[in-house]
Amino acid sequence: MLKQPENVSRRRLGKRTLTAALLILIVIPATILMGVFFLDDRKYYFISLLLLLYTFIPFAIVFEGRKPQARELVVIAVLTAIAVAGRSAFFMLPQFKPVLAIVIVAGVSFGAEAGFLVGAATALVSNFFFGQGPWTPWQMFGFGIIGFLAGALFRKGWLKRSKWSLCLFGGAAAIVIYGSIMNVSSVLMVTPQLNLQALTAAFASGFWFDFVHAVATVFFLFILARPMLEKLDRIKEKYGLLEP
Amino acid sequence: MRRDSFAGFHPFVNLAYFALVIGCSMAFMHPLSLAISLIGALSYSVVLNGRKAILFNLIYMLPLLLVLAAFNPLFNHAGATILFYLPNGNHVTKESIVYGVAAACMYVTVIIWFSCFNKVMTSDKLIYLFGKVMPALSLILSMTLRFVPRYRHQLSVISQAQRCIGRDVTQGNFIQKARGGLRMVSILTTWAFENAIETADSMKARGYGLPKRTSFSIYRFDRRDIIVLAILTALAAVVLAGAAWGSNSIRFFPSIAVKGYSPFGAAVYGAYFIVCLLPVMLQLMEEVKWRFIESKA
Repeated sequence: MLKQPENVSRRRLGKRTLTAALLILIVIPATILMGVFFLDDRKYYFISLLLLLYTFIPFAIVFEGRKPQARELVVIAVLTAIAVAGRSAFFMLPQFKPVLAIVIVAGVSFGAEAGFLVGAATALVSNFFFGQGPWTPWQMFGFGIIGFLAGALFRKGWLKRSKWSLCLFGGAAAIVIYGSIMNVSSVLMVTPQLNLQALTAAFASGFWFDFVHAVATVFFLFILARPMLEKLDRIKEKYGLLEP
Repeated sequence: MRRDSFAGFHPFVNLAYFALVIGCSMAFMHPLSLAISLIGALSYSVVLNGRKAILFNLIYMLPLLLVLAAFNPLFNHAGATILFYLPNGNHVTKESIVYGVAAACMYVTVIIWFSCFNKVMTSDKLIYLFGKVMPALSLILSMTLRFVPRYRHQLSVISQAQRCIGRDVTQGNFIQKARGGLRMVSILTTWAFENAIETADSMKARGYGLPKRTSFSIYRFDRRDIIVLAILTALAAVVLAGAAWGSNSIRFFPSIAVKGYSPFGAAVYGAYFIVCLLPVMLQLMEEVKWRFIESKA
């Protein structure tokens, strides 16, 4: 039912690539130059925040542009709500959250774009309950990009549906991708330039948080991955939802 | 919550204001700019949240400020004026201490502005604003916000049903409890998806995707919105011109350097002061007006 004609999907890719190219070639260098000339090259946080926001634009344009069906929207909203509820259910255990596991499962099951949307929307919506702050865009980007990668790597065949493959990816993503993004963002916020010592200190002080996050992700993927994927497959089969 | 005057303006005015003030707070590191923004954020948070805001600022923000201020001089050794040496041989400079205090103030100010943002920009306002530009994404947001409390309720329904047959999370030994919990999550997930597809079909039947959708909250962009937006734009132009001119910039490394006094610089700070205190001033005006028209009989 949701299957799109071949030429539409090709045009869609073209539009996204075009937007991305425009951003990468013109807007991003312009922002960096503006930072160097007008803000004395000291406002790394501000500039990096702008760059971060640019990464959301191609997704938003493409998603809105193809006029998604109600069923597709609702499935993404349900996955996001489950992830948000999961985050608030484990509120008493810092960093021990099922969010990343659910985002990865969403990416694998519904594709890279859905993975990105579920990740970014989960970070945004759960912060309505936990408090928005300068960390919100970074969390949105961190979760979103991991969902996107999970979908893309699965499509490429490098990520399998097996428990172990997903656990390995989840653990690595929690430490390497999400951990790095959050640590770098906290350094950018409090020091004028990225130097090795401040980064080392941030990574060292953040290590146990990242470690717990990774353990939680592996744990939840180990328990949830198979039943969740089966449930999603069943829904897709039953209602004829095909991967976009 | 007491009625806040600024929160009653059109959501676009609210969003434009917070974007301006949070962006400026992140970008301007001159101590005077920081102080102005901090005063604005603190007073507005007190106007919005009363005593709770004072407690929040004292219990969480003050220690955070101290920790962050200490972080920079320990790891950043740039700067010309060496004050003393740490036991490990690294030196601590005046510039890095000053920068640390300034960056910590900036961070805390931004967090306090966000606490005001949370109070003023409720989710229905955000969805109203983005519903026109990004209808599908804002629909996802609004559905998610609705689903979360709904799933909590459904979970308690499932839990009660499971308790009747002795399979709740409160019954049995540890393994049985864990199994009961997982089974409930599984039931909830299946229910959520089945229910969601029904919702989607119902949406379609009622004309989802047709143009000119209405939203739950209706806001009118009326004269006072235009006035406040015009004032805000004019002030923002002065502040941003000042930023481009460099009259409120500061150099921290290798040595601290600020621009001296100039009439234009004073005007820039005046404009910034009005910008940061705008919501508080609007609230005060409202209260004065209220007192004035109140019957004295």
